[in-house]
Amino acid sequence: MDNKQRTLLPTVLFSLGAIIFMSPILWMALSSFKSPLEVTAYPPSLVFEPTLENYEELFGRTEFLHYTWNSFVVAGLSTLLGLVLAIPAAFAISWHRMVWPATVSLFARMAPGTLFLLPWFIMFSNLGLSGSYTALVLAHAVVTMPLALWILLPYFDGMPREVVESGQIDGCRGPTILVRLVLPMIYPGVVVATIMSFVFSWNYFLFALALSGFDTKTAIVASFNFIGEGTTNWGALMAAATVIALPPLVLTFMVQRWLVAGLSFGAVKG
Amino acid sequence: MPHQPQTGQTAMSVRWMMIPAVILTLAMVVFPLGYAVYLGFGGGSPATGFGVANFQRLAADPSFWSALRITFGLFLSALVLQLVLGTALALLLNRYDVVRGLVRTAILSPFMLPPVVVGMIAIVVLDPGLGAANWIVQSLGFAPLLWLASPNWSLLVIALIDTWQWTPFVALIVLGGLQSLPARVYEAAEIDGAVGFRRFWHITLPLLGPTLLTAAVLRSVDLLRFFDIIYITTQGGPGNSTTTLNIYAYKLGFDFMDVGYAAAVMIVLALLVLGSVLFFAGLRKRVSW
Repeated sequence: MDNKQRTLLPTVLFSLGAIIFMSPILWMALSSFKSPLEVTAYPPSLVFEPTLENYEELFGRTEFLHYTWNSFVVAGLSTLLGLVLAIPAAFAISWHRMVWPATVSLFARMAPGTLFLLPWFIMFSNLGLSGSYTALVLAHAVVTMPLALWILLPYFDGMPREVVESGQIDGCRGPTILVRLVLPMIYPGVVVATIMSFVFSWNYFLFALALSGFDTKTAIVASFNFIGEGTTNWGALMAAATVIALPPLVLTFMVQRWLVAGLSFGAVKG
Repeated sequence: MPHQPQTGQTAMSVRWMMIPAVILTLAMVVFPLGYAVYLGFGGGSPATGFGVANFQRLAADPSFWSALRITFGLFLSALVLQLVLGTALALLLNRYDVVRGLVRTAILSPFMLPPVVVGMIAIVVLDPGLGAANWIVQSLGFAPLLWLASPNWSLLVIALIDTWQWTPFVALIVLGGLQSLPARVYEAAEIDGAVGFRRFWHITLPLLGPTLLTAAVLRSVDLLRFFDIIYITTQGGPGNSTTTLNIYAYKLGFDFMDVGYAAAVMIVLALLVLGSVLFFAGLRKRVSW
């Protein structure tokens, strides 16, 4: 009896917690498969005949496919740019045990995005780049590069110094040592940095809101415009939300083991 | 590695390999920040001239003070909610060791969602007329609520939405702190007869101090700059009940093209964020063990 109680309480508590945290996400997915009549039914229906109408509407009658592609382009290229810059920088910072770059990137992360936005807007207008992919990718690289740096540094620090020194003895130069010897050892860190950079860039709203043009809008900015147009088509809105939510959720699921460890590590050391 | 390179080896310098990253930082962070400060002090504006005119205007602007109050209201209410609930969740997770599989997914999902998606869900779920939230409220026998449409409650509702999204994050950080607490302290406490709530209050909580402050720093940076969910759901309304400094500055700069003044508001916001980080970091030094 006592034993039963001991397992009953946590089971109830955790089920309750899981419901609280998961139900809005499930509701979003559920609503995206409801017909326009069903989705605004009150009281809301839990059992209904699922339909793909909303997705047909979204991809067939709006440019949402194009905007989703934009999101992939911006998130993908800014992740690539962030990594190409952060990997050699992390190598140099770790090898020379520099402290100030971490402080600088911390301050950059703290500054409100709106503070960068006005100067960027003026800069990109003068360069004839306003509304271009280039402007968006550069802006998002300001998010991805410091993030990748933060994730990669512990991996570089944890690598034995002898590896680099042995490369030196063989007469290799810095970049060769990095690519041939170091990267193969720390590729798990590179994978995590890639996935997290992509998720953060994909999720970022503010920069694309102010800097994207009519053709370069990301899916997130486009769905904000749906709301602005006063569309009460909740089904299509939830279909858009589901499409946007899917990549981060799937990618997070892939690195969840690292996320839990990585977060706690940062807290203990931080 | 602690040891120095052996004699006969020249220490390799790879400092130059961070040049590309430094160039991006100079072009996209340092220069724009300097430019924003220049704009805030009236640079390039014939109307105000170079000086503190924008900051004098700010001191006399009731909308600025209202936005400042709202920023702090959101910051404090959400921070307290998230730290308390996050610690409670972490204690449960620590006790029953269930952070794996489905529980882990459920815990990680909210804060990996784009805030814009969270806002979109809030629009649908919290709709005063047809939303699922009011259906639950009414099933429990209460009168339906206005949620985000209420000028009195909209800010608290925003705080609750953010709490839904970020409590699991705080819980994971606190869980990491709990798992690193020395076991011998608990053994000593047990000998002294400290159990249950007394043990938590007098032993666990003080030891968790540094971890809680780390979580506070991370959350306060985001909370003071809060933007996405407000911009998606209420756009600062009803009235200006959810117009935080960040929303106010954005509207000034991009809707009203009042560039210099917007920059001044953003500078104040940036200083607030910096101040809160230094405050929590200083506090953290005092409670560390």
